[in-house]
Amino acid sequence: MNQLTQTIWVETLKARRSKMPLLTTLGFLVIPLVGGFFMIILKDPEFARRVGLISAKAQLMAGVADWPTFLNLLAQAIAIGGIILFGFIGSWVFGREYADRTVKDLLALPTSRWAIVLAKFVLIIAWSVVLTAVVYFVGLGVGAAVGLPQASAEVFWQGTLTIALSAALTIILVTPIAFFASAGHGYLPPLAATILAIFLAQVVAVAGWGEYFPWSIPALVSQGGRLPFVSYLIVLLTSAAGILGTFLWWRFADQTR
Amino acid sequence: MPALARRSFVFHQWAPDPARPPLKRSLENKMRPTIETNNLVKQYGPVTAVTGLTLRVERGEIYAFLGLNGAGKTTTIRLLLGMVKPTSGDARILGHIIGPGAQDLWADVGYLVESADAYPELTVRENLEIMRRLRPGTRPEAVDAVIERLGLAAYARRRAGTLSSGNAQRLGVAKALMHEPQILILDEPAKGLDPAGIVEMRHLFLNLAREQGVTIFMSSHFLDEVSRMAQRIGIIHEGRLVQELAAAELDRVRRQRLLLRTRDQQATCALLQSAGYTAGMNGDGAIAISDRNAIERPDELATYLVNAGQPPTMLLTEQEDLEAYFLRLVGMEETK
Repeated sequence: MNQLTQTIWVETLKARRSKMPLLTTLGFLVIPLVGGFFMIILKDPEFARRVGLISAKAQLMAGVADWPTFLNLLAQAIAIGGIILFGFIGSWVFGREYADRTVKDLLALPTSRWAIVLAKFVLIIAWSVVLTAVVYFVGLGVGAAVGLPQASAEVFWQGTLTIALSAALTIILVTPIAFFASAGHGYLPPLAATILAIFLAQVVAVAGWGEYFPWSIPALVSQGGRLPFVSYLIVLLTSAAGILGTFLWWRFADQTR
Repeated sequence: MPALARRSFVFHQWAPDPARPPLKRSLENKMRPTIETNNLVKQYGPVTAVTGLTLRVERGEIYAFLGLNGAGKTTTIRLLLGMVKPTSGDARILGHIIGPGAQDLWADVGYLVESADAYPELTVRENLEIMRRLRPGTRPEAVDAVIERLGLAAYARRRAGTLSSGNAQRLGVAKALMHEPQILILDEPAKGLDPAGIVEMRHLFLNLAREQGVTIFMSSHFLDEVSRMAQRIGIIHEGRLVQELAAAELDRVRRQRLLLRTRDQQATCALLQSAGYTAGMNGDGAIAISDRNAIERPDELATYLVNAGQPPTMLLTEQEDLEAYFLRLVGMEETK
């Protein structure tokens, strides 16, 4: 436990000193701000006509300017944008050790490699949860600021649950990305895997098999769809495979970087 | 101006850290060499990086591991640190077989592999603090002590990414030394250092080995540099240990030759050859003789030449330099 405390401290320091927390926060803040912009468009058809194409897109995605629509929009954006952004975080936390050639300093220590890898996962999850919370609370502020009509507590509760569930599913899917960063020795393989996951998620969802493809599932959840238990199981198993693969890689693979 | 700040290594006896318990070792293990490999082989697919490597490093010994780029030095060091698994054979530290799970072993080992890298956006002190926390039991004061010891005080608050290569190397060595290990495994520790830094580092390692009994295994490209501090030298080429010798033996094993000049070089050369000497012209236009009796008794040769009407204008016993010896040993003899 003490080892884990120390490794979490170490990982947190590395993250704090980097620009990544700021960049990922700014990147994720686009979600509530753009969501709010859509709400403004939807609230004011006259303005919507003036902006033309964007208005049409906003209507296509949303519909009416109210809290259920806005919260649903946030959930969908977190589920899809999160794959990219949480994937970036996972790529950075693991990949930077290879890019900066510092991984070798972590391999022959009295602190176990398990504690180091686990701390990285803890950091990625904590970082992603904080980002989601930031988006959620800023979203609430933006929704209030654009003057969305009052809604019941049930609406907020349901919207919050959907955001939390789709974010949680997205966050735990970062573990295979960590594996690709470790096995691929850097940033590019995990980023490529992230892009591939998003691309396949779209294709598979269009083909109607989305509920069986891990990276399609959070977006389906965010749309309020009722998914079979096996969908959640698929996400959990994918995440577990990512964790196990990463641990085993660090423990057993030849470390030549 | 920090770049011009005067600095020096501080040589002082470090008190043993009472917080850190000594590694438990059996009596049998105490009798064993500190570092040993037994017929170690490492293959990456069809490529053999190291083969049949057997070596022993005793406690308090400085062992230099020499080889060209790609000879297998870094692979050996990674094998010694459990970063890669041997294809066959084994490596032991303090009698324990090395593997990725042998983490207790690493409390007594400090290392520097391949290049001295650090987290670029963290300061020198933060990089060391990270290493301190990853080595449980290392006192907080160890960070300042090692900064002082490696002459990094002026750079403690600098981001590691802004350091010169020499100072980055000092930081790498500092990370290896901070927890006062009994064993140091260092891959080209003098890389990037200026001549003064190389001398300082040499004194540091000699002091650690002599005063504190630290065992040092270091790789290098340069025989003349390591010959000044290592007790034993292993030379690796194409994955094989081609020679292992005591540094004191270096004089004995290096080639010697007698160089001479006369007014008529061609005639003298023919004269010497007819007298049974192995003589030839070298690249500098001097006559080179490799016969041992001529090298050991140049006075007799001079007398012979004077009597034969070819008095020498120059007579010089030349010993093969360390670089030439090393290149000859690895089959890359310099041609003159």
